[in-house]
Amino acid sequence: MATQIENIAWWILLLPLLSAVGITLFTLRFHKLSAQISIAAVSVSFLLSLLLFVALPGSAFSVSASWIHVADLSIDFRLILDPLSKLMLLVVTGVGMLIHIYSYGYLHDDRSLSRYFASLSLFTFSMLGIVLASNFVMMFIFWELVGVSSYLLIGFWYEKASAADACKKAFLTNRVGDFGFILGILVVWAALGSLEFDQLKAVLAAHPGKLGAMAGVGGLLVFCGAMGKSAQFPLHVWLPDAMEGPTPVSALIHAATMVAAGVYMLCRTFFLFQATPAWPEALAFLHGWTALDIIAWIGGATALMAALMAVQQDDIKRILAYSTLSQLGYMVMAVGLSGPSPAMYHLTTHAFFKAMLFLGAGSVIHACHHEQNIWRMGGLFRKMPITSWTFLLGALALCGVQPLSGFYSKDAILAQAMEHSLPLFGLAMGVAGLTTFYMFRLVFVAFFGKERGEQAAHAHESPGIMTWPLRALAFFTVASGVMGIDHFIAGAFAAGGHEAASLSFAEALMAPFAHSPAAAFLGLFATMLGLSAAWACYGAADADPLPQRFGSIAQTMRHRFYFDEMYEEAIRLTHDAIASVADWIDRWLISGLLVRGAHGSFEVFGRFLRLLQSGNLQTYAFLLVAGLLAIIYLSFSH
Amino acid sequence: MLLALILIPLLAAIAVALSPRTSPALPRLLALAATGATFVISVMLFLRFDIAGGMQFEQTMAWVPSLGLRFHVGVDGLNIGLVLMGCIVAFAATAVSWDIQRDEKGFYSLLLAMIGGILGAFVSQDLFWLYFFHELALIPTFLMIGVWGRGEDKNYATFNITMYLTLGALIALSGLILLYLQMPLADRTFDIQAMTKHFQLHPIAAGDQNLIFGLLMFGFGILVSLWPFHTWAPLGYGAAPTANAMLHAGVLKKFGLYGLIRIALPMLPAGSQRWLPVLALLCMGNLVYCGWVAMRQRNLNGLIGNSSVAHMGFCFLGIASLTLVGVTGAVLVMIAHGLLAALSFGLSGYLYSQTGTLDIPRLGGLLRRLPFIGAALMIALFAGCGVPGFANFAGELMVLFGAWKSGVTGHWMVVAAAWAGLIIGAVYMLRAIRNMLHCPEAEGAGEWIDAIGSRRWPYALLIAALVLFGVAPGLLTDAIKPSAEAIVKMASSGKANAVAPAAPLLKAASTH
Repeated sequence: MATQIENIAWWILLLPLLSAVGITLFTLRFHKLSAQISIAAVSVSFLLSLLLFVALPGSAFSVSASWIHVADLSIDFRLILDPLSKLMLLVVTGVGMLIHIYSYGYLHDDRSLSRYFASLSLFTFSMLGIVLASNFVMMFIFWELVGVSSYLLIGFWYEKASAADACKKAFLTNRVGDFGFILGILVVWAALGSLEFDQLKAVLAAHPGKLGAMAGVGGLLVFCGAMGKSAQFPLHVWLPDAMEGPTPVSALIHAATMVAAGVYMLCRTFFLFQATPAWPEALAFLHGWTALDIIAWIGGATALMAALMAVQQDDIKRILAYSTLSQLGYMVMAVGLSGPSPAMYHLTTHAFFKAMLFLGAGSVIHACHHEQNIWRMGGLFRKMPITSWTFLLGALALCGVQPLSGFYSKDAILAQAMEHSLPLFGLAMGVAGLTTFYMFRLVFVAFFGKERGEQAAHAHESPGIMTWPLRALAFFTVASGVMGIDHFIAGAFAAGGHEAASLSFAEALMAPFAHSPAAAFLGLFATMLGLSAAWACYGAADADPLPQRFGSIAQTMRHRFYFDEMYEEAIRLTHDAIASVADWIDRWLISGLLVRGAHGSFEVFGRFLRLLQSGNLQTYAFLLVAGLLAIIYLSFSH
Repeated sequence: MLLALILIPLLAAIAVALSPRTSPALPRLLALAATGATFVISVMLFLRFDIAGGMQFEQTMAWVPSLGLRFHVGVDGLNIGLVLMGCIVAFAATAVSWDIQRDEKGFYSLLLAMIGGILGAFVSQDLFWLYFFHELALIPTFLMIGVWGRGEDKNYATFNITMYLTLGALIALSGLILLYLQMPLADRTFDIQAMTKHFQLHPIAAGDQNLIFGLLMFGFGILVSLWPFHTWAPLGYGAAPTANAMLHAGVLKKFGLYGLIRIALPMLPAGSQRWLPVLALLCMGNLVYCGWVAMRQRNLNGLIGNSSVAHMGFCFLGIASLTLVGVTGAVLVMIAHGLLAALSFGLSGYLYSQTGTLDIPRLGGLLRRLPFIGAALMIALFAGCGVPGFANFAGELMVLFGAWKSGVTGHWMVVAAAWAGLIIGAVYMLRAIRNMLHCPEAEGAGEWIDAIGSRRWPYALLIAALVLFGVAPGLLTDAIKPSAEAIVKMASSGKANAVAPAAPLLKAASTH
């Protein structure tokens, strides 16, 4: 057959790239046209993804494009289409499309709208590349490109110093993760001789011990990549700052796509973590642990820590950012508890309701003329009914209230935790309670009560181009829990690759109670607890009562446990200090002549040089040759 | 065709020198025509190049048969990409020289001589011509920095770069002469292929190999700013006129690396075994130490210069790995970095023409005021910290992969190189973006004018080449691979010899 259906994937991937390039080269001056091109590209990608999802059963690969073939390093660009990537394609292009549309309403009078849409298209392209990557290097390439395009988007308002700092921080923190990632790729490649996921999987299935002593280290190094993108402790610091970008960007990057990439990658490479666990000599103290255990605890720690931080934030976007961190911690924990399918399930539902929450927050910020402090809002429910209803729905889903989608996916994770590790189950329960507490703190303070600010008093509902995407996301927030997504994903990880039998609607609705009743009931109980605590503290509060009651603890939570300060100090003490020393050596010892005046008095220097020039050349040449001979001699004498 | 590649710029140089003073626009037009022609020829060569391998487009002429001197040019996978890159950079460098207002005749004729020398050095298959053309390119470099250079540091920089590079060239020359003397009297020749073949069949004694390789490594190394002989580079490039910095940092500097791969590796396999571990250690200095130094730079040219020194570490690491992947990656980095260095220095030259300063704290908000130049600079800085989509990433990635599996370079070196490339590089590049391109506009920004129309295309050309080879590095690697394979095989043949104890230095030297 000349054209096979799986090659449509190339179009899905390349259309956003064409849009980005086209806008950059030709339509920078025509804002509306640029927006149309970008929205059209992602919409067509979405429709094609839908087509593939329906028309292409099972798994397939597109034709491949050769990239580098030298000796034992062969890298091709080949698009993988299995249940995992087909689902993710829908999430990325579907949620992405709604955010594209919403953006046009949100930013329509920005003077750099074309640049915005070009960056957005580039971002979509990069993210789709991660989803479709069939090998480690291809994934790493798009991984980096997501870093770059998110840099462009976070720093969209680059004239603000805070935005310029935030995008830099996001990129650099991600780079630290990527440093581990590339080393992990090297370890895997050297041990297993391939970079293709399907080949690696086959090799490890046949010889689970083939990674040898590097199994644990290799897995953790690859996980470093996820730690950066999915903002896991200790690389979580970039995500809250990244809220400096326009709000739709926050919705796209920090809810549905970029941060999900880390979890997706862990699911994609889950076979690595099923290798026989082993540690090299130097890490013998880790004996008895597996890489997955460590990942689970990092995820759990992130979930708890971020939830605690969220409790004391006042910026509506920052609260959502920390809640994203916390939910990502859940997902990573699920992967660590050998449950990639609950993780993917939660990723999917979370993409819907978190995007909706962010877009809702954007609508609020838009209406309040860029006021982001929840204590200066209040009483928005009557003024912005659509935004408020959808926001409330999203908050309930996030808290895991039945029958909204968040309940089902969170329950899957709780059940997984209950089965594998009781301490982590307890931690997850605590986080569930905290989640409800801080989300309803936000809801009560911002949407109920009386107006506490000038801006909030004059707020009114956003235009249809912004509310319709909210409505669409609300539908999925309600429905995605009972659409059978979990069975579809479970099929992807099952041995045979077949989908499990679908349940009827009523069965699906009550499935968690049938499957793991304890987890389901305890989860709901934690939610109720959090809700009543939030009502008690914030039901009718005009100011936050917690700082008074808890003093320094609340202060620490507000300051994010001082991680940013610690890192800054650490960087100042290490890299910056070493750099100064290196620079000093370069200037004064290696550069050697010590002629430059310390205060840059070049006149003195010039005279000095004229005096010294003839003699100096010889001295210098002599020193250089002497040094050279010394090196040659030393390297032979041992 | 290769001969034309050398002769066009050289003849144009003479024509410019003889052109009448009454037509001041003529030198620039002639230079553009000549470099444009070489650019077209190089593209044709590249398209017609057969990736199956072997020396192609060869031309030979007898010259002094008694000394074994011939004029012999040719390209294989090793230099076809370099020649293409050189011609692109030469064209762009000529085009951005519109800001030269003083003695254009002298400037363009020296520039053309430099270009002819560079191309000659890269296509020569004869040691004598190889060296001769390199010197032919080097001397105009010194003169141009001295005459058309800028900044208060100019004299010091000229003095520094002249001394270093002359010294490096002399050390390399002594190595080359010793190499020549190792040929039996009857078949003495300067022909590189003949010499390589001979030394493969009749290897030089290990001790002599060690001496010669050492001389070549340090001689060529100084030309490429091998740590700790690197301080001339940031200084010299800071003072050089834009076109010079582009051509030297971009193309001419790669001559040392080219010499190492073309001459030292295959002719001195035992010497390679002995010295490559040392090279690998020294290049850590380039990668990590010079990266740190770059972090401290407040001047844009100082930053680009130091980062360019740091990038040379990837080339050295790839060569030192002595694996096919690593060496191919090193050649790819050479080409990619050539385009990138030219782009960066070209842009900083434009900035200087507008702002009169390259002091980073005095620039700010350039993206708003100079959207094209700012965006292009951002692209250059991103390419410099190894973002995929640009050729540098592909090359550096290959070097890491090659070095990881090599027996010569330890794993810790790869870890350090990855740290240098991914973290240190990103730190200084992103700081520069933040301080120069982002943030509110600096004082006096109102008078700066963005590049428009024809002043844009040199930058666009360089970016296009970077992206082309970044998206499809196979265009280059497929061509490089066969030649690199042959060289790695020849150099690895020294493993057996290396086991024999190396003769002490003095004894080795006294055999001559």
